[in-house]
Amino acid sequence: MSVIECQGLTKAYGGVKALNNFSCNIEENKITGLIGRNGAGKTTLLKIIAGFMKETSGDLKVFSESPFNNLTVSANVVFIHDQMDLPTALNLKELLEVAASFYQNWDRELANRLFDYFSLSPLQHYEGLSKGMKSTFNMILGLAARVPLTLFDEPTSGMDAAVRQDFYRALLKDYLAHPRTIIISSHHLNEIEDLLEDILLMKDGKELLHMPIADLKEWAIGLQGKTAIVDEWTQNKELIFTKNIGPDQSYVVVRNNFSETEWQSARIAGIDLTPVSSSDLCVYLTSKTKGGIDDVFNKG
Amino acid sequence: MSLTKVSLIDIVKKQYVYKLKAYSQVFISLIFIQLLAVFFSLNGVGGGGISSGSIQINVSYFSADFVVAFTMLWGFITAIVITTKTYRIDDFIFVTNRASSNLSNMVFLLIASVIGGITAMLSTNLIKVIVYYFKSDFALKSTTVMDMPMEFLIGIFSTILYVFLFCALGYLVGTLVQISKVFAVLLPAAFLGGLIFDGLSGKTGVIAKVLGFYFTESSLALFIVKIIMTAGLLFIGAFALSNRREVRT
Repeated sequence: MSVIECQGLTKAYGGVKALNNFSCNIEENKITGLIGRNGAGKTTLLKIIAGFMKETSGDLKVFSESPFNNLTVSANVVFIHDQMDLPTALNLKELLEVAASFYQNWDRELANRLFDYFSLSPLQHYEGLSKGMKSTFNMILGLAARVPLTLFDEPTSGMDAAVRQDFYRALLKDYLAHPRTIIISSHHLNEIEDLLEDILLMKDGKELLHMPIADLKEWAIGLQGKTAIVDEWTQNKELIFTKNIGPDQSYVVVRNNFSETEWQSARIAGIDLTPVSSSDLCVYLTSKTKGGIDDVFNKG
Repeated sequence: MSLTKVSLIDIVKKQYVYKLKAYSQVFISLIFIQLLAVFFSLNGVGGGGISSGSIQINVSYFSADFVVAFTMLWGFITAIVITTKTYRIDDFIFVTNRASSNLSNMVFLLIASVIGGITAMLSTNLIKVIVYYFKSDFALKSTTVMDMPMEFLIGIFSTILYVFLFCALGYLVGTLVQISKVFAVLLPAAFLGGLIFDGLSGKTGVIAKVLGFYFTESSLALFIVKIIMTAGLLFIGAFALSNRREVRT
C-alpha cells in the first residue's frame, strides 16, 4: 500500500517553482531518505505532505486523502523540522504532556527515557535550548508521537556527532519495534545510508531517482586511468561526472551497465574500476555541471 | 501501523486546554492592564462640589468604567496577538486543521472574555477598598452586591459580551493583517479618518452611530442578540479568510 502518492505536483512561490511536476510513490513501512541540494524542494515537499501548504497544481494523496486542512492526515503525521517554534510559556515537561494529549499512540515511557538520556531538564524552556538541544527535543517528539507517517526535515542540524549517532540508533530501534513510514531529509547521506531502505533524490523540484539504496550502490561506477583510454571506454556511456586528476589522468563516473567481459577487458586496458559511494554519487547527480565546482575555475 | 481517527470536537477541546496553558501570558497582561485602570480610576470618574458658608461638600463618583474599557481594549489586542504567526504556528506543531485552530481560538477568547469581564466588574471592590483606606477624608456611600444582585449579574454578563465583541473584532482585524500588512495601515487610518471626518462635519457620523448601536441599547434581550450576531459574523469572516491560509515557517 502506498502511503503517499503524488502526480505532477507543482508548487510555485511567486514565479519560482520549488516543486516542478514532481511525482512519487512512498510505500508503507519504509524508511526513505529524501536527498537533494539546498533549494531542491525537499522542505516544500514535506510541508505539502504535512498539510501546511497547498500545492499549486498536481495531485497528492496521503493515506488516500488530500492532506491540506485534513484532520485525519494531521493526526497521523508528525512533521519535525529545524525551524519549529514551540510555545514559550510551557517548559519541556509540559510540552511533552501536551504532545501526549494530541497523539493517541504517544509513547510516554520512551519519551521520558530519551528525555533523561539526553539530560534535558524538565523545567527548561524550549527557546533557551541550544540548536543541537532543540533538535534533540524535536527528535523525541517525532519518535514518541509514533504516528504512521513521520517526517524528519534536517533532524540532526546542530547535533554533535555523538548525538547524531544516538539518534540514528534510536530511530532504527524504534522503527524495528514499531514499523512505520519514515521520511528523512538530510545532508549527511553517508551517515544515514545504513538506515535507509529507499532513497529519493531530488533536483530542481523534480524527482531524479527513487530506488532501494542497495541498488544505488551498484548504479554507477568510477573509472580512473589515462585520459585517452578512459575517454574511449566511456564514449557511449551516460556520463555522470568527470574530473581531471593530474596530467593525462582522469576520473569519470558513468552508469554501470558494463558486462562482466567488458569489466575484465577494461581492467586489462589499465583502467581502475571503483564503486562510487552513494553520497558522492548524489552530489554528482545533483550538480548543475558535469565537472562540479572545477568548471567555475577552468576558464578553458 | 493503523490510522487513528479523530473528531473535530475532540481536537478543539484539546487545543483549547493547550492554549489556556500556552497563552497564559495574556492573563498576566490582563492583571497589569486592570491594575493600571484601577489606578486611573482613583481620581474618580466625575464629581462636583457645593459650598455654602463654612460648609463645603465635594462629591466624587468612582466606578469601574475605566477598568471595563481597558479590558475591552485588552480583549481586542489579545485577539490580534493570537492571530500572529508565532501563535498560529503553535497549533501546527500538533494535530490540527484550520477549522479546529480557529474554533479553539474562539473558545479561548470566550473564556478570556468571561475571566476579563468578571474581574473587571469585581475591581469595583478593589477601588472601594483603596479609596476607603487611602482617601480617608471621604465618606463612602456605596451599594453592595447583595443590594442589587440582579444588576450586578447583568453588569457582569454585559461586560463579558462587550469584551467578547471586541475580541471578535480584534480577531478579524488580526486575520486581515496576517493576510496583508496593508491592513495594518489601512484599518487604523480608516478608523481615525472616520473620527476626524465626523468631528469636522459636526454631525453624528458613521462611527458614532455604530458605537451608539451597541452601547446605548436599553433592552437586554436585544443587546444580547446584537452582540452575539455581530461577534458571530466577525468570527465567520475571520474563519472564511483564514481557511485557505498556508503555514510558512
